[in-house]
Amino acid sequence: MDSSMAQNWLQVTSTSAFPLLTLLCLVPSLFAVAALFLPGDQPWAHKANSLVGSLVTAALSLVIFSRVDTSHAGLQVVDKFNWIPSLHANWFLAIDGLSLPLVLLTTFLTPLVFIGAWSAIDKRWKEFSIALLVLETGMLGSLLAIDLLTFYLFWEIMLVPMYLMIGIWGGKDRVYATVKFFLYTMFGSVLMLVGILYLYQKSGGSFALPDLVKLTLTDKEQVWLFGAFALAFLIKVPLFPLHTWLPDAHTEAPTPGSVILAGVMLKLGTYGLLRFAIPLFPGAMGKFSPLLLTLAVTGIVFGALMAYVQTDVKRLVAYSSVSHLGFVVLGIVIFNQESLQGAMLQMINHGLSTGALFLLVGFLYERRHTREISDFGGIAKRMPVYASFFVFVTMSSIALPLTNGFVGEFLIFAGTFKEGMHSAIEPGKFNWRMWVQVLGGISTAGIVLGAVYMLSMVRRVFFGEIKNAANESLSDLTLREKLIVGTLSVAILWIGIYPAPFLQLSDATIKAMSAPNRLQIQQVRSPIDYRREMQQGLAQ
Amino acid sequence: MNPLISAALVALGLPAALALLLAVVPKLRRTGKPAALLSILGSLLALSAAGWLAATWLHDPKQVLDLTTSWLPQSGKSMSQVGVHLDGISVSMLLVVAIVASCVQLFSLGYLSDEPAPALGRYYAYQSLFLFSMNLLVLAPDLMQLFLGWELVGATSYLLIGFWFTRPAAGKAALKAFVVTKFADSGLILALITLVAWTGSFSWNATLPAGGAEWLALFLFIAVMGKSAQFPLHIWLPDAMQGPTPVSALLHAATMVAAGVYLIVRADPIFAAAPHVRLFMTDLGAITALFAALIAMVQTDIKKVLAYSTCSQLGYMISGLGAGSLMGGYFHLTTHAFFKALLFLAAGAVIHAVHSNELSDMGGLWRKLKFTTVAFVIGSLSLAGLPGLSGFYSKDLILEAVHESGNPLALGLLMATAGLTAFYMTRTVVKAFFGKPSHAAEHAHGPGPSMTIPLLILLVPAIGLGWLAGPMSKLYGRSYAFHLDTIGMVTIALGLGGIALGWLIYGMGLLQALPRAFAPIARIANGSTVDDLWALSYSKLGMGLARAIAWFDRYIIDGLMNFLGWLFMWSGQRVRTLQTGNVQDYLYAVFGAAALIALWGGWR
Repeated sequence: MDSSMAQNWLQVTSTSAFPLLTLLCLVPSLFAVAALFLPGDQPWAHKANSLVGSLVTAALSLVIFSRVDTSHAGLQVVDKFNWIPSLHANWFLAIDGLSLPLVLLTTFLTPLVFIGAWSAIDKRWKEFSIALLVLETGMLGSLLAIDLLTFYLFWEIMLVPMYLMIGIWGGKDRVYATVKFFLYTMFGSVLMLVGILYLYQKSGGSFALPDLVKLTLTDKEQVWLFGAFALAFLIKVPLFPLHTWLPDAHTEAPTPGSVILAGVMLKLGTYGLLRFAIPLFPGAMGKFSPLLLTLAVTGIVFGALMAYVQTDVKRLVAYSSVSHLGFVVLGIVIFNQESLQGAMLQMINHGLSTGALFLLVGFLYERRHTREISDFGGIAKRMPVYASFFVFVTMSSIALPLTNGFVGEFLIFAGTFKEGMHSAIEPGKFNWRMWVQVLGGISTAGIVLGAVYMLSMVRRVFFGEIKNAANESLSDLTLREKLIVGTLSVAILWIGIYPAPFLQLSDATIKAMSAPNRLQIQQVRSPIDYRREMQQGLAQ
Repeated sequence: MNPLISAALVALGLPAALALLLAVVPKLRRTGKPAALLSILGSLLALSAAGWLAATWLHDPKQVLDLTTSWLPQSGKSMSQVGVHLDGISVSMLLVVAIVASCVQLFSLGYLSDEPAPALGRYYAYQSLFLFSMNLLVLAPDLMQLFLGWELVGATSYLLIGFWFTRPAAGKAALKAFVVTKFADSGLILALITLVAWTGSFSWNATLPAGGAEWLALFLFIAVMGKSAQFPLHIWLPDAMQGPTPVSALLHAATMVAAGVYLIVRADPIFAAAPHVRLFMTDLGAITALFAALIAMVQTDIKKVLAYSTCSQLGYMISGLGAGSLMGGYFHLTTHAFFKALLFLAAGAVIHAVHSNELSDMGGLWRKLKFTTVAFVIGSLSLAGLPGLSGFYSKDLILEAVHESGNPLALGLLMATAGLTAFYMTRTVVKAFFGKPSHAAEHAHGPGPSMTIPLLILLVPAIGLGWLAGPMSKLYGRSYAFHLDTIGMVTIALGLGGIALGWLIYGMGLLQALPRAFAPIARIANGSTVDDLWALSYSKLGMGLARAIAWFDRYIIDGLMNFLGWLFMWSGQRVRTLQTGNVQDYLYAVFGAAALIALWGGWR
């Protein structure tokens, strides 16, 4: 293989004598074990235990952050030891620019979710805190694993607590929603497991990503294996038309479940594409690019239109996720520096903004036990602080400049249009340039539609006179609630006003990752541009 | 740091700091009056900074000062610069914004004196946020920062139109304004990403590929049509009158709606290279001017008259810029900002006195509101283009430019509009201030000092700014000397004719057949026609499409998935003989099968 296509970003650049990353994954579970020994009839004990556990995890993640050199690509703070010798399976955890922002997002959101749950969860606190702590272990492990078997283990660990969370603390159609969630995700995971085992065989016995990317696969193998991996990840995202589990799962899940689901778990799908599916099978990614681009843009537009007709606020926000994640997938499919940075940032942004929206919807639900838009109207009069936060978060969700959403979406658009304009036309061949230009143009409709459905909902819920007498007695946000959304709002503004440090987190890694993989993707989807980019690369 | 730069940073940063302070310290905001005074103080300090800057630049118009820092880094490179860019154009706009904003903030103190304290505090938080956003736009060193300000003024407009949120109409109007302008703003986003893809920066001076300027100018102009309410995207502006009247004066007459015009002035290098788009601008501006003036003739709500008049005057500016006269378009922006803010604030004083927007609730007000009457009449005369008043000079410049560009159609439309403008303003003046007083007008009370002082301040530029056209033109890098020629004289005649006709019909009750004759014509052109077409496409088509897709999603896509699930269950029932009830067995089966498939693949 050509040296310009070497995956240098997967080289180990720093190791840690002390297994910091393993500890980070395990800390939440240690507190979950501690919870086993705490009495089940004392919810406050579990509230305190889980809050301390998630805060310790957050502090530890900051320690790790301080050890990461974001100006260089490569696997850092590596933890690697022999795990199952007979299988040659290593316990292999590392952090780099792809995982760092999402790890920080996870450890930042989890304590807020626990505090939010104090009022949202009113039964079985012991079981709830254990489920969410184990879930945090699963999420962090999935983000840090470099070895595919380790990754698969954590990936499956995530599934069970979320299943329980919807099934036990969910709404009235929770059984239907859990079964649907489980079947969808399990279906994807099993296919991925087949793919992992195939790669293991092919490589002569390794699960480690840096080894596996060196494999030479035939076109046919690439296509089938990419299909297996991508399906698992795209169901998680979810990409249209694999999204139908999401509205049900979101609507039935309790608030903490929705926040974690939207905030972190959906991103594991897009993260998985970037970390595993594309570097392992870049040629297949090139082949599937037109299809994925079409589905992403369809998702952006359809998700927005479907959100527009929802009558339940939470369902509306769930559909808005389909639209927003469509932007992230668009950025990933385009696969240039700008679009990838935008996609990375947009993952964080969506976690913050949609997480905040789900929390806000939850606060209202706790007061009124309904989420139907028609049950409200004019409540800004009774809940002015709540209304202010809601409008603010809405503005970030619809990408108003100086909030986080704008920076991410704009970078994705900028990358998409650059791709469209810099690509060449090869007569008689498939025309990638036209494809990108047309679909990129259509995707801008997502911005307008976002404003339409979000602000229409805001108008119907907050503006006007109070017509429903039940809303007259609504109380405004408590200090605890203000603290939660206030913290998220600070993050939203910070990224919006001064995005540089956040972009810096993944800049070097994206650069190193996109260079080799982009060439291989281009080789398949647009050979004429591949030759040009190859020459430019050699000239540098 | 250069003291001039510091002054600009004060004008930019102080309102931002105040907005943030009022937002995060609810205790302060809910006190009402103190929050208001703080915000007014902020605007006055911004005004003094802007005044000093303008005085410096009048002295030395060629000076250019920049202080920028990189925003949106891209692997070491910077895509975008943010900061302040000071030249004759930005400094003069900064002063216009600061003067009108200060007057409006002061006026609001009296106008909103009946509001509860928390609402007043919220209002001033929005006002400070607006001043920051507008200054961010005005001082932009490149198109990206201009866009940041552009979107933020849109959001503040949304908040301020919906200020009286318990009124359902205000909620609807706020939403409509936001959605219509956001729709148009996709043009600006397209322009930004096209520009950066071509040139790697957002500078309006960048070298563009051949033919590129036409596309960019077109994209930019789409956004301008939304923000500056050009036909057929003007529909949000009349509805925006649901906001408090001082807000209408500041945002929806003097400054925010003029942001589109300012954008064209800033991006002049791009537009100068786009003759086709310029021709389109000249024609569309003229059409908007006439169309909106026709509708203004039949409005019964004093604010709606002024709103359509704003549309019409923005049409003049766009037309003038299309004809290539930066001086004409920009100078009319400046004079219009003052006389239209004066008209709106005077109308506000009237509305405050009679508690109604309807012209039929007014009448004979000159007896009770002498000073307000004088202010409104002078504003109207300036708008109607009476020689000597500021509006005359700027309008004349535009007409000359359109004439020189060789566009007789646009010129004809604009000159007809000049006559109509004089006519509908006379009608409004007569109906509101003269004639038989209504019941409400008999009990009207005059405005307090916080409302009369702003009127007094705005009277000065509304009358005299035209005489400063010479020095002002140097700020824009142009030169100007007034000369009256045929077009000017015809326009004066048309204006006087319009006033005379208006007085004959509405003042003296003569020629009553005439309004009856043109009423149907005007009604055909009435705002609701265009509005209905948009509403049809928005709510019927858009909603229908959304419902169809949601149905497809629910019953076809999800139905298919559920069917697959059912199919598995069904086949499971068939092969249930394999069921042992032992979980381990199933797991063995799953993993075993997966391993087998993988092995088969690996050895093949």
